[in-house]
Amino acid sequence: MMRNVFGTGEQAKEPVYLKLIDKLAPLYTKVGVDYRQMRTILEMKMTVDSRKEAVIQSVGSNAKQKEEKNHFFSSLWVYAIISVFLLFLFVYDNWVFQYTTYFSYIFIMLFSTMLANFSNILLDTKDAELIGTKPVSQKTIGAAKATHIGIYLVSFTFAVGLAVMLATFYFNGILAGILIILLTFLSSLWALGLTIIMYSTVLKHFDGEKLKNIIAYSQIGVSIFMVMGYYLMGQIFEVIDPATFLVEMNLSVGHALLFPMWFVAPFGLLQEGIQTVYVVYTLFLVAGTVAIGILYNMNSDKIDSNLQKMNKAKAKPSSRSFLETGTAKLLSAGSLEKAYYHFTWQLTKNEREFKTRLYPSIASAMIFPLVLFFSSLRGDQPITSQNTLTFLYLPYFTMLAIPMIAVATQFSVNYKGSWLFELSPKHAKAPFLRAVTKVMLVKILFPMYGLISLLIVILMGFTYSVQLLNGFLLMSAILYFEMKRSSQGLPFSRKYAASEANQGCMASLIFFIPVFVVSLAMILLQSFVPYAEWGVLVALIALNAWWMNKGFNK
Amino acid sequence: MEPIVELVDVTKQFDGTPVLKGVTFSVMPGEIIGYIGPNGAGKSTTVKIILGMLKKDSGTIRLFDQPLDPNDVTYKARIGYVPENAELYETLTAKEYLLFVGELYGMEEQDIVERAGQMMDALGIKDAFHGRLSSFSKGMRQKVLIISSLIHDPDILFWDEPLSGLDANSVQIIKELLAKLKEEGKTIFYSSHVMDTVEKLSDRILILHDGHVVADGPFSELKKEAAGTLEQLFNTLTGFDQHEALAEQFLNGMKGEITHDA
Repeated sequence: MMRNVFGTGEQAKEPVYLKLIDKLAPLYTKVGVDYRQMRTILEMKMTVDSRKEAVIQSVGSNAKQKEEKNHFFSSLWVYAIISVFLLFLFVYDNWVFQYTTYFSYIFIMLFSTMLANFSNILLDTKDAELIGTKPVSQKTIGAAKATHIGIYLVSFTFAVGLAVMLATFYFNGILAGILIILLTFLSSLWALGLTIIMYSTVLKHFDGEKLKNIIAYSQIGVSIFMVMGYYLMGQIFEVIDPATFLVEMNLSVGHALLFPMWFVAPFGLLQEGIQTVYVVYTLFLVAGTVAIGILYNMNSDKIDSNLQKMNKAKAKPSSRSFLETGTAKLLSAGSLEKAYYHFTWQLTKNEREFKTRLYPSIASAMIFPLVLFFSSLRGDQPITSQNTLTFLYLPYFTMLAIPMIAVATQFSVNYKGSWLFELSPKHAKAPFLRAVTKVMLVKILFPMYGLISLLIVILMGFTYSVQLLNGFLLMSAILYFEMKRSSQGLPFSRKYAASEANQGCMASLIFFIPVFVVSLAMILLQSFVPYAEWGVLVALIALNAWWMNKGFNK
Repeated sequence: MEPIVELVDVTKQFDGTPVLKGVTFSVMPGEIIGYIGPNGAGKSTTVKIILGMLKKDSGTIRLFDQPLDPNDVTYKARIGYVPENAELYETLTAKEYLLFVGELYGMEEQDIVERAGQMMDALGIKDAFHGRLSSFSKGMRQKVLIISSLIHDPDILFWDEPLSGLDANSVQIIKELLAKLKEEGKTIFYSSHVMDTVEKLSDRILILHDGHVVADGPFSELKKEAAGTLEQLFNTLTGFDQHEALAEQFLNGMKGEITHDA
């Protein structure tokens, strides 16, 4: 057994993931990775992840530090509990339907939130100086990074899939149970492999400033692909008899693009026997896995060797846009707040890490309303009072981005620069937080909400414009309360570590319920109580005026 | 004797801006080389290219009498490196960090701990062996970096501003250490802006300016080109003689008397 030099001492128990990875040592060695070095790097990374930077510590303190728990792992149970809702799938007897929904959910969770949070680790340039100058090959560094993220992704995927995996053993038998474990594991490897291949390809062909945006946009592209997938999925399955939960499947050639279906095909073979479509899809899965393996092996050392481009972008003269100066004048209460407003605007414009963490969650918060909007437009059906309510509900979904925003604004790669704010007078914290909240409202939430509202106005005219405005004002107020609830110290003053990766994601899931209730209450109140919308408008204007001037004051 | 490091006409540009425009020099085993130049001249870029952290655009590099092969990293085991602005893994303790580095060099735990302990003791920071790097002063971090660059007993050292943040006593120790390393036959290639130190310690001085090596030789020889201190020679070779005018401009800017466009 390998020794453990990090953590509490040599007697410390080795984590399970290290024991498991030790079993794969021959595989690493076979693909040209120095396993011993890779393990050393991995151990170090996991130790760093489990420790938070101490705020106050005496210089050169030799006192024994308390070992902290990696809170990523200790919070996984929340995902396991949330995913219990997937058990409803087992009322249907169609395995293909069950696991299509399951793998779609797994892939949505993996791509929309988790990978965005891990892109920072893949694109970390610090290792180049501290590890790249030692006799460690790019392949070994690449493998260490991939394994580092892989540990989190696999544990996350298993937490998300736990309920369905256990239920599979119970309802569908041991063989299906073993299959679901293997395929769930494979799905997280796919997500990891595809991301690494995508990044290394982007890094190989582009450089400088473009790169930062391409990465953020390509993640949005992934989200759009998922929207399309979701839409197509609706075409494939149709519940033909709700009483007996009978599901009909209409697979066609065009659906072959939906790769989660490939993961489902082996279950089709297991339940329904050999059918051409399942055989073909299973072959796709095998071929896809092999292709990802080969492409990963060809590209795994490219990310680090091209990372230098990230820091060598040509400096562009920075300028303040009309939108920035205009909204700063309009919304800032005082000159100090205005200074913070400009600072936040520029920082969020320039920081790649901020964009790569937040943009994909924004894209995923847009998925539901957009999918529902377009799937509600069925041919020449008239707009009834029932689907009017559905349409009015759509913009509220964008609120799901709020917890992500609240989390994202706490971190920065330039977190050390926060000493500047520490020097500011104590009363400067409230204007700073107000400025950050306002910038997020203008830059992120307004365009999101605006787009969905615009679609609704195009469809239904201006009849509901006051209600739409009220929705935005409500969102603004909720953003304030969430920022206030979650703010820990000054914005942009925390260092981002891998173990923080699930914070925003989890908050979004929990956020779903209050947002649903509040939004429903708003719509019902305004739809059925005469003139209620005007009362709500006045109340929300007052609430927003209050926080914009006095918010965050203690 | 063959040079231990040899660069011929090495160029490098970033986004179309040339930084190295054809750098040529060689270093013999056992030499102490002072590599100096104005800010942004490309000193760190040169070292990063030699260490394989950046790719050169053209030119040839030979290390240890072999052409530099980007796919072969074994040569790095013979190199010790102190970067100018190193970001450390701050939540690790000094012991953990040095163990980590030593392990990457393929050393055994016992060996690393013994060497690190003795070196930390010599630099007066042994008590901080189990302290986290985040709690270290700038000087203490620099000492850890210096130790990490020597722990595997390398043949050649690349040190970028090695004395940065060190107190006067520690500077004395490092200077003495450099002399002893030279006696051991080690090659030392270091960059610094402290001209006095470079002048006294270096066997040879290389001055990099505008992407070229504009001076190469022992200080005693370079002095013949422009009399005075190394600082004066540096000013002459880099064409800089406006200290007073620029200080004046700065002061005016501070007072709001604007004479130049932003």
